[in-house]
Amino acid sequence: MIEIDDLTVQFGGVRGLSALTARLPEPVTGLVGPNGAGKTTLINVLSGFVRPTTGRVGIDGQDLSDIAIHKRAAFGIRRTFQNEQVVENLTAADNINAILDNVPTDGQPRAALIAQALEFVGLAAKGNVLGRDLNAYQRRMLEIARAMVGRPRLIMMDEPGAGLAQHESEHLRDVIRRLHGHCGAQVLLVDHDVDLISATCTATLVLDFGSAIAYGATASVLAEPKVRAAYLGVLEDAT
Amino acid sequence: MTDQSLEGVPPIRAARLPLRGIALGVAALIALYVLPDALSNYWLRTFISAAALTIASLSVSVLFAQVGMVSLAQFGLLGVGGWFALRISHGLGVPFEIALLSAGVSAALVGLIVGLPALRMRGLYLAIITLMMAGAIQVLISAFGFPDGGPGILGKSTGARLMMARPLIAQGDGAYLRYAIVVTVLCYLLVLAHVRGRPGRAWAMIRRSEVCALAGGVDIVAYKVWAFALAGFLAGVAGAVLAGGVGQLDGSAFPASQSIMLFALTIVGGAYSWFGPIIAGLMLRAFPALLNDFRVDGNIATMVFGIGLLHALITAPHGIAGQLSDLAGRLRRAVGGERKAGP
Repeated sequence: MIEIDDLTVQFGGVRGLSALTARLPEPVTGLVGPNGAGKTTLINVLSGFVRPTTGRVGIDGQDLSDIAIHKRAAFGIRRTFQNEQVVENLTAADNINAILDNVPTDGQPRAALIAQALEFVGLAAKGNVLGRDLNAYQRRMLEIARAMVGRPRLIMMDEPGAGLAQHESEHLRDVIRRLHGHCGAQVLLVDHDVDLISATCTATLVLDFGSAIAYGATASVLAEPKVRAAYLGVLEDAT
Repeated sequence: MTDQSLEGVPPIRAARLPLRGIALGVAALIALYVLPDALSNYWLRTFISAAALTIASLSVSVLFAQVGMVSLAQFGLLGVGGWFALRISHGLGVPFEIALLSAGVSAALVGLIVGLPALRMRGLYLAIITLMMAGAIQVLISAFGFPDGGPGILGKSTGARLMMARPLIAQGDGAYLRYAIVVTVLCYLLVLAHVRGRPGRAWAMIRRSEVCALAGGVDIVAYKVWAFALAGFLAGVAGAVLAGGVGQLDGSAFPASQSIMLFALTIVGGAYSWFGPIIAGLMLRAFPALLNDFRVDGNIATMVFGIGLLHALITAPHGIAGQLSDLAGRLRRAVGGERKAGP
């Protein structure tokens, strides 16, 4: 469970997050909101890239402020990036191996863990292909494979569906839906694609101006007038 | 999947790397057995220096190609390694191998200090700071000179300068060239072990981006420091090989500008390829010697290097090594095409 208590992040005069408090227990949780609502800021706080001005975040009762940034991967906090970060001069298998260097493997052979992760995201035949030779979609899937090895607790995806074709997007949905059952990690999904969120997330948190404006079952949250107003830019009176 | 057609492509790595290893091994064996006997004394000494400079260029390429960091202090570290090798060899009379290793270790420690700014700086700023370190080393070396068998900590003799003791198994120039090539190969294997292993993967993540490395759990500080220490070690070993080859070192031979030259020629040679540093080492030492042999002023080499650097920056980002492997690839394809076209 992700625990967020009174979290404020201030960038100079701009408030990225404003006294946000939330409990996110669902296996796959959506995080939506208009641009600048604080979605990526929240992910960055959980990753450790951004320090909270006040407040705290925790996973399963463990306060994250005690865990150094580079130790968070081993603790189980993983992510993919809005601009993919596949290492171009390593093979797909070595991209995963580079993560396995720093996370618990529970004594299982690495080759098996790598093969399993590549198989899961549909890149089984690409293990020996260099990162630079993978296309945009394969890179996104490889990022997910990197995030799911070695006992993850929380996998955060920042707009994984951006720029994908229809059939690729369907495969992505399928992977996200099976992810929790496969590796046991909670998934936090940021995306502008409402279809992707509705198809995969059991619950959704809506942010606007750094505060939570709604949380609950995805379908009902997305139907709320104030969410539609914030997200689709429709005036509340008009709906 | 968008390109089902590629699914059946065989693994690339298994096919390529042994070939590369065999090529390296064959080249080293030829160099070891054929070259030394065929060369004059002048060329033997030139190739000894070229071997040392190959190791120095390797140290630049580890930082640049693996981690993406620019250090302009590596030639200065070569001087540091040479100083400690001479000091320990003259002072304690230890075998050459001990002097070689302690030169590497002491240059690694100095290299670590050079690398400390790298934890906070990147790109141009890091380059400038490391160049200033090279300048500081230049001042120290030209002020105190290299030990040559005299008394005291500085080891400066007032009378005849003593030569550094060479390894017992390699007293002559030909044998020492073989020895230097073996040391070079060992340095390559040390780097290869790093690149293939955990440090190589961590460096690749850091080179991709620091957020990528942090999110993957890489301890950036530790791996950057380790890269600088390894590069310093290589530069120090290069200094000791050079000192053993020449017998003594000249205090005026380690200006900061040589560090820039070393970096530039590593780029021209091809930092991303394993034979790039060999090309750089040959260009730095063998090319000027060749010009001298043709009774042309060896300093013209500097102008050629300038043109080469421009050429590399504009048209060949992977240097001469990259162009050679492109050419080899094209030939292989041409030959393969002919075979297919045949019966």
